[in-house]
Amino acid sequence: MNDRWLLSRRKLLHTLVGTGVIAAGDLGWWEAPFIAPRKAWAAQPVRFQWSVPEPTRIALMNSLVERFNQSQKDFEVRIEYVPQAQARQKLISSISSGSPPDLCQAWDNWIGQFHGMGAVEDITDRVKAWKHQADVQPTAWQTVTIGNQIVSLPLSLTLDAIFYRTDRLKELGLKEPTPDWTWDEFLKIAQAFTKADKNQYGYGMRGAGTWAVLYPSEFAYANGAQVLKDGKVVINSKEAIDAVAWYMDLALKHKVTPPSAATDGFVEIVETFGRGVTSMYQHNSGSVGQQKKNVGADKFATIPVPVGPAKKRATFYFSETLTAFKGGRNKEGAWQFMSFMLEDEPSFMYCKTLGLLPARKSIISRPEFAKDPALSGFVESFPFAIVSPYLAYPGWGGKIDSDGVPLIQQAILGKISAKECLDRFADVLRKEMT
Amino acid sequence: MTTVPVALTRRGMRPLLSARARRLLVGYAYLVPAALCLIGTVVVPIGMAIHMSLYNDVLYKPRDYHFIWLGNYARLAQDPVFWLTLWNSVVWVFGSVGFQFVAGFAAALVLHESFVGRSLARTVILLPWVIPGVVVGLLWEWLYQPNYGVINDILIRLDLLHDRVAWLSNPDLAMPAVVFTNVWRGIPFFAIMLLAGLQAIPGELYEAARVDGAGVLARFWHITLPLLRPIIVVATATRIIWTFNYADLIFVMTNGGPANATQITSTYTLLQAYSNLDFGYAAALSVVLLVVLLVFTAVFLRVTRGVEEVG
Repeated sequence: MNDRWLLSRRKLLHTLVGTGVIAAGDLGWWEAPFIAPRKAWAAQPVRFQWSVPEPTRIALMNSLVERFNQSQKDFEVRIEYVPQAQARQKLISSISSGSPPDLCQAWDNWIGQFHGMGAVEDITDRVKAWKHQADVQPTAWQTVTIGNQIVSLPLSLTLDAIFYRTDRLKELGLKEPTPDWTWDEFLKIAQAFTKADKNQYGYGMRGAGTWAVLYPSEFAYANGAQVLKDGKVVINSKEAIDAVAWYMDLALKHKVTPPSAATDGFVEIVETFGRGVTSMYQHNSGSVGQQKKNVGADKFATIPVPVGPAKKRATFYFSETLTAFKGGRNKEGAWQFMSFMLEDEPSFMYCKTLGLLPARKSIISRPEFAKDPALSGFVESFPFAIVSPYLAYPGWGGKIDSDGVPLIQQAILGKISAKECLDRFADVLRKEMT
Repeated sequence: MTTVPVALTRRGMRPLLSARARRLLVGYAYLVPAALCLIGTVVVPIGMAIHMSLYNDVLYKPRDYHFIWLGNYARLAQDPVFWLTLWNSVVWVFGSVGFQFVAGFAAALVLHESFVGRSLARTVILLPWVIPGVVVGLLWEWLYQPNYGVINDILIRLDLLHDRVAWLSNPDLAMPAVVFTNVWRGIPFFAIMLLAGLQAIPGELYEAARVDGAGVLARFWHITLPLLRPIIVVATATRIIWTFNYADLIFVMTNGGPANATQITSTYTLLQAYSNLDFGYAAALSVVLLVVLLVFTAVFLRVTRGVEEVG
């Protein structure tokens, strides 16, 4: 017998070790059970950071990712769930340390900072060649365009409207407000709803978080004010001061807001409405689903923000985006998943389940969105919705939280006047115009 | 050729290092891994933070990154919010630790006595310490909620309140409210530490004092307190340093609001780093906090010098 064909113990060990290394390398990316059908020999992982992990969203995103992973064999998306409160910090840390995910879910007001850090992937060329480009609302593209670069895909749009209790209006014998209602009508209804001795208040004012600044800013636009005009900060104009003073008087003079208004954030304004403490609040369509469960779909409706003394009004567009990073390792996989999420069914499922507004015109025009009374206030707000003026400079997003919110809180508490609040806020914004 | 006897050579050779030096070297060699870990995880990050604090390092303005000497420190000196947060930190730390100590001491004295259910009581008192800080924050935020929180509800039912109090939204009440929560959480720490100390005090001392006619207060003052001093010093110093850096509760309950009423230096640092992405300024705040803590620790140890050796 030829000795060359005899397997020595050393060779056997070498062969076993070699086989083990190959198997380990192969199985390293394979999270499915060993005997499960294999997806693809060389499916590349796509790291996807996803925030707001609450049960509905987790189940929904798991389902969508599973569909994507089964729909093709080249990429495998792996979700990294992060609580919303930590999502931005985690992204900043991962960008700074040079290991960002391939793709993340992010709000457009974060993107300016990430773009300033040089971290965001420019997807302009991919978008231009994308079949649904023309179907996405132009405003949505504005929210994700910095300079001439498109840096994200708008997964859904948000804009603000007023939620109100229809059953309480009937109880009080009040007339339903019409979509072109005014500040005076808004105040009258808020006063009628307020019964402090019964722990009931007309309006759930928001005092915490970024939107504590944005909501009064929207009221300021209704009085003819602006944040930026001809490249100058004018948020402390007379019109803005008068509007914010009127808004603060809801808490200070008319007392139609709960005593906790100065620190009420997203959870509190949604929760107090759901528990019947407040009968109106301002928010985007993201809490529609929750209120259908809390209050009942037949007991509330939404309506555009009221028209101000200047016969104007505005609501700010924001978009929830899918954003890829320059430092990501799988840019093609990231793009494939991003574009998959804006396909007809994934986009419809995502927005319908979460009560959000799709960025694509052909999907938002479906009756599930256009004819849902709980969403009508948002759909009717499209004609006067504008891209948030606070997206103009990347540093403004952070300054709203660090400086703007404490100033607004002081104004809600009556510690400073609306004028002082806006003068100081304007100074903060001016220093960040780079 | 000369041959030298082996025994002679060995006897005649002088080792390079003396036995004492060798022992010392071996001792230090054992310390090297721990020292390397400490250098890597403590000294290097502190050095990097000091280095970062000397630069204009705003993450979204990479082109503006440059050395600014003590520019961040000068800015900090003129920042009224920083001074407010420093004062808030003092209130937060000494308010929390002071009450934690008094209540924890009282609890330890009670738990040291014999009574039915003592084991259960000793277990139950640990609960606030066992619960994670973030959960404690959420729980108390819920309890304090003015519209549907339990505290207001009970006080109104007892006719002690007529109007609902916004505990965390009123700038005058927010800090006491978060301090109270921190006190609730920290009592078990002092209770357990001091209980361990109490159990180590020999019973004969109390018996002898009793025979000599010493009353309860005299026994406490002349036996209990002096013998517990080493534990008190160490536990208090540790707790003060922890509380200075402990941002979880405030972050969850008020996020520094309303209107910075509960903003302490550590939450302000977090805000500058992760909202404004101003890592240079945040690093300067961290360095100042480090200096404050170093000065405090030095003064505290000087004031209490020798006390830890009493036992």
